[in-house]
Amino acid sequence: MAGSSSYMYKIGFLVNPIAGMGGAVGLKGTDGKSYLEEAIKRGAIPLSPRKAKVTLQKLYEYRHDFTLLTCSGVMGENIIKEVGYKKYTVLYHLEGPNYSTAEDTKKVCNLFLEFKVDFILFCGGDGTARDIFTVVREEIPILGIPAGVKMHSAVFGITPKISSEIVKMFLKGKTETQEAEIMDTDENLYRKGRLQTKIYGYAKTPYVPTLVQAGKSIFYNESDSESKENIAQFAYEFMNDDSLYILGAGTTIEAIASKLKIKKTLLGVDLVKNRKLIMADVNEKEILDVLEKEKKAKILISPIGAQGFIFGRGNQQISHQVIKKVGIDNIIILATPYKLSKTPILLVDTGDEELDKKLSGYQRIITGYRIAQRHQIGLNTA
Amino acid sequence: MEQIKILLDENEIPKQWYNIQADLPTPPKPYLHPATKEPVKAEDMAPVFPMELIKQEMSTERWIPIPEEVRDVYRLWRPTPLYRAKRLEEKLNTPAKIYYKWEGVSPPGSHKPNTAVAQAYYNMKEGVERLATETGAGQWGSALAFGTCLFDLDCTIYMVKISYEQKPYRRILMEIWGAEVFPSPTKRTNVGKKILEKDPECTGSLGIAISEATEDAVTHEGTKYSLGSVLNHVLLHQTVEGLELKKQFEQIDVYPDYMFGCVGGGSNFAGQCFPFVGDKLKGENPDLQVISCEPTACPTLTKGIYAYDYGDTAMLQPIALMYTLGHDFVPPPIHAGGLRYHGDAPLLCKLTYEGYMGAVAYHQNPVFEAATLFAQTEGFVVAPETAHCVKAAIDEARRCKETGEEKIIFFANSGHGHFDLAAYDAYHNGKLVDYEYPIDLVKQSLEKLPKI
Ligand SMILES: Cc1ncc(COP(=O)(O)O)c(C=O)c1O
Repeated sequence: MAGSSSYMYKIGFLVNPIAGMGGAVGLKGTDGKSYLEEAIKRGAIPLSPRKAKVTLQKLYEYRHDFTLLTCSGVMGENIIKEVGYKKYTVLYHLEGPNYSTAEDTKKVCNLFLEFKVDFILFCGGDGTARDIFTVVREEIPILGIPAGVKMHSAVFGITPKISSEIVKMFLKGKTETQEAEIMDTDENLYRKGRLQTKIYGYAKTPYVPTLVQAGKSIFYNESDSESKENIAQFAYEFMNDDSLYILGAGTTIEAIASKLKIKKTLLGVDLVKNRKLIMADVNEKEILDVLEKEKKAKILISPIGAQGFIFGRGNQQISHQVIKKVGIDNIIILATPYKLSKTPILLVDTGDEELDKKLSGYQRIITGYRIAQRHQIGLNTA
Repeated sequence: MEQIKILLDENEIPKQWYNIQADLPTPPKPYLHPATKEPVKAEDMAPVFPMELIKQEMSTERWIPIPEEVRDVYRLWRPTPLYRAKRLEEKLNTPAKIYYKWEGVSPPGSHKPNTAVAQAYYNMKEGVERLATETGAGQWGSALAFGTCLFDLDCTIYMVKISYEQKPYRRILMEIWGAEVFPSPTKRTNVGKKILEKDPECTGSLGIAISEATEDAVTHEGTKYSLGSVLNHVLLHQTVEGLELKKQFEQIDVYPDYMFGCVGGGSNFAGQCFPFVGDKLKGENPDLQVISCEPTACPTLTKGIYAYDYGDTAMLQPIALMYTLGHDFVPPPIHAGGLRYHGDAPLLCKLTYEGYMGAVAYHQNPVFEAATLFAQTEGFVVAPETAHCVKAAIDEARRCKETGEEKIIFFANSGHGHFDLAAYDAYHNGKLVDYEYPIDLVKQSLEKLPKI
């Protein structure tokens, strides 16, 4: 057994075998068994096992560095065996042979907590990510293998191969963790016939700090949290100008709030003026009412990691009416270099096409202390 | 047939450098001592620089002789060719004529040895045995290693640790020329030791490396410090370029309408343009446009303020009146590392402030786009720094195409990019980030600061 004296990582591995299958064939139901059978009858091909397999194959050469803790059958074991892993532990036995439910996912995650896995590698979509997050919260870092449907949460590698790269770096101790948005369809609105995504919280996800190799002297070697701190310091310094500041959701803006010694509503919108909290967790109407009385206002907002929406997802309180009232020149977008490097497309979807057009094109994004990057913002044509 | 290369004979290498201080309408404001805030005196600089260079720093003589030994070394690559960029003009279909002077022919591949050789020589003459300096990724370090090698001096180079580890080729070059290169911070200096105690993993910065090299010089007998840009004597040595250029233009009976050069500390462009700016100061050729080119990521001249500021992060160097983004500003990691300096040469800043020179700033991506077009037409792959003025020249030539003007456009081609191919690779793969300096928000944040 060559060189196996080092730490053996425990990876919790789970596959949602039915993730996203229904969408392609126009199914909306969520009942496990009949759903799957109906989907297969309609010609849907299970995508996630194939994607999960790619990641596991790429990790095979590192198999002596970790052990997989998983579930029986389609929820993990089948793929592990197919790829040829000999050593793994089945923690949880599925009742049905070829489908699983959200309840199964949650039960497995409780076992992952109990067995103290180092992180969870899962294959699925937003729903799966959310089910896992409901149980493990920030306790265990989670990393998604994208299964090919819409994935708004920021815990997914861009491709199954990239997910395997992140795992490899994790095994070598070269990753750090950062907060990542868990996003899913807002069910309340969905039942009323509106499709809108909502942030459900911030999970921990492993990431590889970017060492951007610059041509000459200096390289970015600050961590994501250092970048946030630098952005917050800069924002703190310029937020002194009698403007009303509308603070969007998320951890980047939260870092600014904590610099101001203000408790931020993580998933909501807060109003600040001269570095003091005016109103917390406001809705659209409340913002518009306050704006009536204010001469100058600015919006501080950060795009959602990986998925890239600046307006229109997770920040619906900052509606097109609010944006127009504030004026597009008074929008200050902020994001860490790492988040931007992981977010290839930036989008707006305010619900007002004209406004979306005005917001698209090259925009400045504050990325550090007195530093900005220029990025193209596109229209949501998906 | 129109001439492509305008060449001079070896015996036409200038015998004197041109000191623009002689022609300034008002004298430059003095450097201030970082501790006392009093004007710096020659004695203050003596532990750091040899006397002859201190004299040059403060001189108002118009012409300063180039020692024969230095001219003799210059003959290895000087006079450098002036090129007519015929193929680029044709590609752009412009009526403008584009010229560039090519400093990439020197052994280290840039303009930097023009001063490195002179500095090594004066130190050798005054009995100095060893020079200490800092380098980012190694342009300046390799030039000084080359210069000291020829005059048999030892050379100690503090190279920012992260580039020492990740960009080995310039380091190897320095070692070939006999220099000892250390990844900074080191345990050789108190500054370095203190930093390593606090943060053993520290990957270094130019500011730290400057402090280490300075400390090394002042604490060791027979050792002095050497700086590769910014200071008056460095700009002076670089005028060998512009004086050659004048002769070359005279030879073909041309005078430029536009001069463009990239500006990091300002030495290469000052070297090319000061003999021409001297004409302007005397009232000749008032329409000549002299434009410094800089990155939007570090827009010292276009967005900075004109004020007294420290020359380095560690606040050890003299305080100078210049355009500055603040000595605590850490520019983002653009590929043109040589342009990432928060200030600029005080002389160049003064001429800019008084309106004799202008400035423009560009994003990385359009800059590499221009440099790629240049490589595809003229063949030479230029340094990322140089690429900034290639961009300016191409933009101006395109404008001339629209107006039909037959302007004469010159740019200072300061060096090759053979060690910077990773930067071109990043550009081709769409991996280059464009940076900006959020001037409006910076101003807003400064507005209510207490005035000191
Ligand atoms: C090729 C090249 N050009 C220009 C510069 C900028 O320096 P300066 O403004 O002093 O000429 C550098 C600095 O590293 C360089 O390497």
